[in-house]
Amino acid sequence: MMEITICGRGGQGGVTLAKIIASAYFLKGKYVQAFGVYAAERSGAPIQAFVRVDDEEITNHNQVQHPDHLVVLDRTLIAPGMDAILKPGGFIIINTPPDKTDYKDHFSGRDVAVVDATSIAVAHGLGTRTVPIVNTTMAGSIARVLGLTLTEILAALEHLNFIGVNKTCAREAFKQVHTSTLPGEVHQAPKAAVTPRVADLFDDDVGGMPKIKTGSWATEKPERRHLTPPCNHVCPAGNDVRGFVEAVGQEDYDLALSVLLETSPLPAVCGRVCPAPCMDSCNRLEFDQSVNVREIERAAAENGNRPEPGSASREEKVAVVGSGPAGLSTAYQLARLGYPVSLYEAGDELGGVLRTGIPAYRLPRNVLDEEIDYILRHDISAHTGCQLKREDMLRLSREYQAVFVATGLQNVSDLDLGEATSVAPVQGLHFLEKVRNGNQRLDGQRVVVIGGGNTAMDAARSALRIGASEVRVVYRRTRSEMPAISEEIEQALEEGIILDELVSPVRLSDSENGPVLTCQGMKLGPPDDSGRPRPIADTSPEARFDISCDLVILALGQSHDISILPEGSVIREGEALLGLSGAPFFVGGDFATNEGTVSAAIGCGVRAARHIHRTLSGEDLFPPPEDPIATTEHIRFNRFEHEPRAAVNTLSPAERRRCFDEVHLGFQAGPDGEGAVSEAQRCLSCGVCNKCDRCLEYCPEGILRRSDEKDGYVFDLEYCKGCGVCMTACPRGAIYMTEL
Amino acid sequence: MSRTLATGNHVAGHALALAGEANRHARGCCAGAYPITPQTEIIEYLSGFDFNKGRVVLVESEHSAMGVCIGGALAGARTFTASSSNGLAYMTENIFAAGFYRLPTVMIAVNRTLGPPWNIWVDQGDSLMMRDAAWLQFYCDSHQDLQDTILMAFRVAEDQRVMLPVIVAMDGFVTSHTQMVVDLPTQEQVDALLPSCNIPHRLKHDHPSTFGGMTFSSETEHHRYAIQESMEQVFPVLEEARDEFENIFGRRPAGALETFETEDAEIILVACNTMARTLHTVVNERRAKGEKVGMIRMKLFRPFPRQQVLAAIGPAKKVAVLDRNHSPGSGGIFWQEIATTLRERPDVLLQDYLVGLGGGDVTPENINVIIDDLNQRTTASEPEWKDTST
Repeated sequence: MMEITICGRGGQGGVTLAKIIASAYFLKGKYVQAFGVYAAERSGAPIQAFVRVDDEEITNHNQVQHPDHLVVLDRTLIAPGMDAILKPGGFIIINTPPDKTDYKDHFSGRDVAVVDATSIAVAHGLGTRTVPIVNTTMAGSIARVLGLTLTEILAALEHLNFIGVNKTCAREAFKQVHTSTLPGEVHQAPKAAVTPRVADLFDDDVGGMPKIKTGSWATEKPERRHLTPPCNHVCPAGNDVRGFVEAVGQEDYDLALSVLLETSPLPAVCGRVCPAPCMDSCNRLEFDQSVNVREIERAAAENGNRPEPGSASREEKVAVVGSGPAGLSTAYQLARLGYPVSLYEAGDELGGVLRTGIPAYRLPRNVLDEEIDYILRHDISAHTGCQLKREDMLRLSREYQAVFVATGLQNVSDLDLGEATSVAPVQGLHFLEKVRNGNQRLDGQRVVVIGGGNTAMDAARSALRIGASEVRVVYRRTRSEMPAISEEIEQALEEGIILDELVSPVRLSDSENGPVLTCQGMKLGPPDDSGRPRPIADTSPEARFDISCDLVILALGQSHDISILPEGSVIREGEALLGLSGAPFFVGGDFATNEGTVSAAIGCGVRAARHIHRTLSGEDLFPPPEDPIATTEHIRFNRFEHEPRAAVNTLSPAERRRCFDEVHLGFQAGPDGEGAVSEAQRCLSCGVCNKCDRCLEYCPEGILRRSDEKDGYVFDLEYCKGCGVCMTACPRGAIYMTEL
Repeated sequence: MSRTLATGNHVAGHALALAGEANRHARGCCAGAYPITPQTEIIEYLSGFDFNKGRVVLVESEHSAMGVCIGGALAGARTFTASSSNGLAYMTENIFAAGFYRLPTVMIAVNRTLGPPWNIWVDQGDSLMMRDAAWLQFYCDSHQDLQDTILMAFRVAEDQRVMLPVIVAMDGFVTSHTQMVVDLPTQEQVDALLPSCNIPHRLKHDHPSTFGGMTFSSETEHHRYAIQESMEQVFPVLEEARDEFENIFGRRPAGALETFETEDAEIILVACNTMARTLHTVVNERRAKGEKVGMIRMKLFRPFPRQQVLAAIGPAKKVAVLDRNHSPGSGGIFWQEIATTLRERPDVLLQDYLVGLGGGDVTPENINVIIDDLNQRTTASEPEWKDTST
C-alpha cells in the first residue's frame, strides 16, 4: 500500500489534491482512499490531507502516520523535523520558487522534487497572488514523481471536471519539476510533543492549550486611518466641525468651544448666520437629515466657557484695516500668536457687515457686542471713526511690521430708473443703516426691493417689520438662481413677502395714483458669465406691466473699492504687495475674494495670520495636505438608526413679521441644551475613529485592545488572521485592510 | 451499478434519493432537512435532487425536520432525513415520537461527538443516545456497507411486521468526508428491491383518526410490548431482506454482525464502524504471527442481536469491547449490552476499552496496545480509558 501526506494551507486545494491523486489510481483499477483532517481549516491555516493506494481493499481508516511521500504546498510550513514521518526513500515534493532554498537545510539527505507551482498557477489565473490555488498544478509534478504518466494525471483532472487551464498548469508542472537528492544525513526524529494538560474544574491555572500564532495565517492586516470628514473639508473657516460636534455630543461645551475658538472667534455669530455648507455636505443628508451643525455651534457658543486671553508677547506690531469678520479674524489669530494688533475701522462701531449688513432679527446686537468684546480682550487696540486713504496706508507700512487690509465691498451697484419726482430709489445698505438707527417707519407703504441677494432679503424683511403694508421682491431670474441663503428666502415668503420672479425693472415714474414701477417680464436664456441662465425680455404684450409702490430699494450687489491701495494693485487673497517701502501688505475677506459669507471671511483671517506669521517669524503654521475625504461610500449606514433632527424653536411668521426679535430660538429642549446634545450625537464621525469600540466587540479573535497610546487601540498582529471583520464593523471607514 | 469514487455523504444522499424516488408510483417521498457538520452534503444532495413525486422541506431546526418526516409518514410518504450530534439532541422529542408512532422513517446519523465542549469529530454517543426511542440502529463500517444498509433499512422498516423507524449510522469525516471506491445502485435496482411504502395506520379521508391520544398504563404496556415484539421480528425480516438484496445486486450485505477469524479465537475484539476496519488490519497482522485473535464487527445494535453475539464469541475466553462512546456513571454502551448478553457465560473475561472518544485517531498501534493488555489480563476491571489524542 502507498500512503501520501499532503501539507498545505487552507485555500490552496490540498484536500482536492488528495482526491485528484486518488482518482488517477482509481481509474487504473486500484483501491484508493482520500481524505483531509477537518479542524480549523480556514483560509491560511495549516491543513493536512492523505491518500492511500492499494491493489486490495483498504481497511485502515486512521490518519497516515508514516507516508511514503510528502507533499508541501506552501514552503512557509517547512519546519525542522517535518520530514521525520517520511519513510526512507520517499520523496518530498515541494512548491517553492527557485530562489528560496531553505528547504535544503531541513531536508538534508532526502530525495526532493521542487517546482514553482505558485508562479504557474498565478500566471494562469488560478487563485490570487496572496491565495493561489496550486493543487491542480502540483498534481502534475506529483504524478511525475510517482511514475504516473501525463495522460493518467490529466485523465484524473478530467474525471473531476477540472477545465482546460488546470490541465495546462499540470502539464507545465509535470515538465518543470526537478528532482535531486540533497546532500547530508537524514535528520533524526524529534522528541514527541507533550500532551497539553487539561485543568481540573476548580483549578485556577486554566488554559493550558498550545499557543498557535495564527497571525502567520494572514494575507492581509488591518490599519487605522483618518479621513477628512466632508463637513471639515467644506467649512470655509477651516473649523474642525466634527470635533466640536463630538464635544457637544459628550456634553463638554467647554471643549466644543475651545475647538471652535482655534479657527473662529465668532461662533455665536456663525451659529446664527452661516449658510452652513457643512450641513449640505453632511453624509447623513441622504440617510435621513443632515446634522444641524449651525444650531450646535450656537449652543456651544452659548453654553461653553471661553478661556481668558493672554497678552502680547512679541515685538512686531500688525495693523488690521477693517473690522468686519475678516479683519476681526485676522486680529484675533495674530493676537493669539502674541502679536500686538491695532484694528482700524471707518465706522463708529466695530463689526463691519456684521453690524451694518445683518439685521437684528438674524443677529441680535448684544450677541455681536459680546463676541467682539471677547476678541478685543486679546490685547487688540481698536480705533473707530478712522476712514483711511492711500496716504494713510503708506504711514501704516512704516509704523507696523505687517498690514492686513479687509475693507469689504464699499461700492454699491446702481440702476438708472429715470427721473421720478416723488420718490427716489434707495440703496439697500443705506436703508438698513437707517432701520438700524431706529429712524424709520414705513407704515402703510408699499415697498419694492430690486435684487436677489442677502441684502435684498434683509431689506425686504426689515421693511415689513417697520410697518410696510406690502413688500415685493423683484428679481430678473427665478428663485433657484437667487444668491440669497435659501432659508432667508423661505422665511421671507413665510412672512408674506411677495417674490416676483423673472421680472426686471424698467422705469420709476409718477402717475396720478402715485409712483409706479414699470416692469418687464423675462425668460431664461443660455448661461452668462456667472454661469447662471441669462434673462431675456419676454416680448409678448402682457409681459410689460406696472407695480404701484411708495418706495423702491436697490440691492443689486457690491464691489470693492481698491483706491485704498497703490495704483495698479492686483488683488489676490494673501498676496503680499510689493512696491511699498516698509511692511508687507496682505488682503483678505470680501475685499479680496468676494465670497460673500462670514465663514469665508473668517477662513481668510486664519490664513492671513499664518501668512503674516510666516513672513515675520519664518514659522510655517499651515496645516499638512488634507487626508482623503470620507464619503457616503465609507459609511455603513445599516449600523445606524434613522433619527430625525432635534426640534428647534422658531418664531412663527405672524409673531416675527412686525418685530426685530430673533427669529431662531435654538433647540427646543430648553436652556440646558439637551437638544443640542442629542442632535450632536446624530453625527456619524465620518472617517474619524470616535472610540465606539465596535471593532473591538466584533473581532472574532479578541485581537483588539483599548490602549492609552496609539489612537486608542492596539491590534495584536501575532494572532490577527486578517479576516477584515473589524473593517466591516467600523461604521465610519476608520479601518482598512492592506496586503501583507 | 456503477463503480465510482465517492464520499460517504454522497453515497448516503444518493441512496436516500433513489429510495425516495422508488415510491413515485405510490404516495411519493418527503424529507425534512436541516444541515449540520458533518452531514451537510447529504442535505445538499437531497435539495438538488429532482424527485418525480416528493418534497425536501428545508426547515429551521432538526426538531422540525423530524416533525416534517412524521407528518409526511402519517400522510403515507416514504420519509427520511439525516443529522448528527447536537442536531440529534435537538430532534430527540420527535425521534421518540416517530418511534412510538410506529412510522418507518430512515435517518442517517453521521456520528459526531456531542457538545459542549464543541467537537466536530466522530463518536458514536449521539446515535446511541437514542437507543430507547424504539428505532432500529445499524452501524456501518464502509461506504459499500453504508450504501447497502440504507436501501435495506427501508425494506426492513416498512415491513408490516416491523413498522419502526431506522437509524443508519456512519462515522463523521472518516466515512462521510472520505473518498473511497463504491458500487452505486441504479434506480431500476432500487425499484426492484423496495415495494411501495404502505403505512397501514396513515391518515385516510374515508377513515378519519387521531394519533397519540391519552392512554392509561395498561394500553401503554400493550403499546410497548407490541414494539418489543416487532423488534424481535427484525431478525427474520433482515434475513429476508438480505436474500432479496443478493438476488438483485449479486452480493450479500452484512446482517446483524460480521465475524472474522473467530472460529478458533482465544481472544475476540468487538468494535463497530471504521474502527472495526482498522481492527481488521490488526487481526490480520496478529494472525500472520500465529496469534489466535478474532474480531466481531457489530452492525445491528437495536434490536441487540444477543444470540448472534453469543454464537460469534463461541469458546473464546477473553472478549474486549472497543467503545467509541461513553455513558457517564457506567461505561461503554456496547460493553453494557454485551455484558448482559454474556450473563450465561461467566467464564468469559469481558473488558471494556474506551477508545477514540471525541474523535481520536485510532491507529493499529493503539489496537495492538489493547490486545497486549487483554492478553496479560487475568481479571476484568472497570472500563479502561485509552487516550488516543495525537
